[in-house]
Amino acid sequence: MEELIEQLKQQIIEALNFEDMTPADIDANAPLFGEGLGLDSIDALELIMLLDREYGIKLADPKSGKEVFRSVRSMAEYIQKNRTK
Amino acid sequence: MRIAITGIGAVSAIGLNCTQTLDALLKERSGIGAMRYLGSAHTDLPVGEVPCSNEELRQQLSLGNEPMPRTSLLGLMAAREALTMASLRPSKATAFISGTTVGGMDLTEQHWADYKEGKATENIRLHEAGESTNAIAKHLGEFGFIGTPSTACSSALNSIILGANLLRTGQAKQALVGGSESLSLFHFNGFNTLMILDSKPCRPFDADRHGLNLGEGAGYIVIEDEKAAIQRGATILGYIAGYANTCDAFHQTASSENGEGAYLAMSKALEMAHLQPNDIDYVNAHGTATPNNDLSESAALKRLFGDSLPFISSTKAFTGHTTSASGGLETVICLLAMQHHLVPANLHWNKTEEGLVIPTTHTIQSNLHHILCNAFGFGGNESSLILSDTAVDLSEANYSPVQVKVTIDQIDDTDISQYVSPAEARRMTPQMRRIVAAAKKALNEVGIPQPDAIICASQWGCMLQSMRFLQDMVETDEQQLKPTPFMQSTHNTIASLIAILTGNHGYNSTYSQGKQSLQCAITDVEAQMNLGMIHNALVLEFDEQVEAWDNVLQLINDRTTNIAKAYFLTC
Repeated sequence: MEELIEQLKQQIIEALNFEDMTPADIDANAPLFGEGLGLDSIDALELIMLLDREYGIKLADPKSGKEVFRSVRSMAEYIQKNRTK
Repeated sequence: MRIAITGIGAVSAIGLNCTQTLDALLKERSGIGAMRYLGSAHTDLPVGEVPCSNEELRQQLSLGNEPMPRTSLLGLMAAREALTMASLRPSKATAFISGTTVGGMDLTEQHWADYKEGKATENIRLHEAGESTNAIAKHLGEFGFIGTPSTACSSALNSIILGANLLRTGQAKQALVGGSESLSLFHFNGFNTLMILDSKPCRPFDADRHGLNLGEGAGYIVIEDEKAAIQRGATILGYIAGYANTCDAFHQTASSENGEGAYLAMSKALEMAHLQPNDIDYVNAHGTATPNNDLSESAALKRLFGDSLPFISSTKAFTGHTTSASGGLETVICLLAMQHHLVPANLHWNKTEEGLVIPTTHTIQSNLHHILCNAFGFGGNESSLILSDTAVDLSEANYSPVQVKVTIDQIDDTDISQYVSPAEARRMTPQMRRIVAAAKKALNEVGIPQPDAIICASQWGCMLQSMRFLQDMVETDEQQLKPTPFMQSTHNTIASLIAILTGNHGYNSTYSQGKQSLQCAITDVEAQMNLGMIHNALVLEFDEQVEAWDNVLQLINDRTTNIAKAYFLTC
C-alpha cells in the first residue's frame, strides 16, 4: 500500500504539472480538493484519466470520483480494490 | 441611432435556411442524431450535423475545388441568405464580422499526415480562424472591415456587439455579423475529455440532464441605420435594443454558482435598452444541458427576473450546441420567433430540480416584443443581446482620441515569478506565463488593477496546447486524451485567464485575424471609448512558437513567433 501511495504521488505530480513539488510534499491523508493541494474540476478529470491510463479503472461519472479522490490514500485504496492492470 | 435588422440567414442541423429552420421549430423536429459525416471513433455520441457532406455543400454553393474549411462552407451559405434577404451588396462601407474558434481545424485534422509528406499544403493557411472568415468574405464581395472574434461559444454574439458599435461610431454603414462553426474531431474530443457530452439527446434545464450534444452551423444578421434601411426600401425585421459582454472571472471551463457574469451581462444589456426585466417576453437561454451551465444560468435568471420569469427555452435540443456559431444562429431563431409570434420549445424537458428555471416545453403562439438572447463561452465569456420589434435609440459617438499609456514589450523570464505564483503557473505554457506577467506588469505600472476591458489579439491562438491535443488525438486514435490542453486551446484562454486571475468582470474579447488581429482589437477599443462604454483597456498581443506547427508552416515558408506584449490604453 505505501509503495502504491508513493507511486501515485509521483503520477499526480506529473499529471497535474506540480513541477516544483516532490512526493514528500504531499500528505497522503490530506484533502486533495478545497484545502490541501487545492485542486479543481479539471484536475478531477485529469485524475479520472490517470486511473484509466495507469490502472485500467473507468469512472464514467465525474461525481462518483468525489469519494475516491478525497485523499491520496483513498485513491490508493480504491485502486488496490479495482485495478485491472 | 436606431439599428435595424434587415436580413437573416441560418444553417444548422434543423435546416439549410430560415424557412426550413422555422418549419422545424414549428413541428418540434430536432436535428440531433447519429453521426454521419464527422468520422469520429466515438460513434455512440449523437451530434447535430448539418445534413450535407462537404461535396454537397460545395454543389449548393456552386463552388469549385478550392480549399474551404467546413466552417467557411456553412458560413457562406448563411451569409448569402442574410445578404439576399437584405437585398444588400457589400461595399467598402460594409463590415463583415464572423466569430469562430474551429476555423480550419477540420482541414488540419484531415491533412495532418499529408503535411508530414509535404502534400496538400494549400490547406495550411486556412487553419487560422481569420482565414476561414476571409474565405467566406472572398465569395461575398468587398468589405471595408473584416474581423473574427474568437471567444469560444460567445463568439457570434460578440460579432454582433462589435458590428453594432461600428455602426454607432460611423465606421461602417452596414454590417454582416454572426458566426460559423463546423464540427471538428478536435473540439468533439475536447468536450468529451470534459465529460460533458450526453450519449442521449440533450435535455436542457431537466433534472436528468447529462450534458450537451455538439452541433454545427452558422447564423448571420444584416444590421444598418434605420434611416438608411428605410431609404433603400429594405424590410425591417427587428431592432437591436441592447447588449453587453462581461466576464464571469471564475474558471476556464466552469460557471460560478450564482451566475455572476451572466447576471451582469443580462442586467447591463437591459440597462442599455432602457428596459425593465418584466419587459422581456422571451429568453433564448444559453442552456447547454450541462449540469453546471443550466444551474448557473438559472441562478442568474432568477436573480434578474425574480418570481416573474418570462418564457425561457434553450433551442440546443433542436440544433445541438453550435459553439462559436450559437449566438448568431440563436439570434436568427429569436428573430424568426418574433416575426412569427412563437416561443420555440425547450425539447426533451421532463422534470425540474431545485434551483433550475422551468422552460417552455412546447412551441406556443405568443406576441414577443422584446427578446433576450444569451451566449456564454469558455473562461466565463458572457454575452447578452436584446432584440425588439420597435425602434430603440442608441447613443452615437463623441470622438475621444485613444492614447497608449503603457507598453510592456518584453518580460524577462527571471521576472515572471514576481507576477505569477507557482500555483497559478502550473498549467500555463511558458509563453502564457510571459503574457500574464506582462499584463500584470502593465496594470501595476499604470496603477489601475481593474481595467474596463481586457482584449487579446492573436494570429494563431494558444497553439502549443492545441498542437499537444491534436497530436495526442491523432496518435492515440482519439483515446487517452487529456482535458487540460483542450481547456487551454481556445483563442480566448489568455484574456479570460487574466480576468480570472485579477477578478475582472469587465468586457472581455479576443480577435484572431492574421496580422490584423491587433488592429481589430484596437478598433474595438476605439469604438467603445468613443461611445463612452469603456474608459480604459488592457490590450494583449499573444502568439507562441511551436515546433510541431513550424514543421508544417515551413512548407509554405512561414513560422510562428513568440509574442507577449501588453498595452494599456486610455482616452
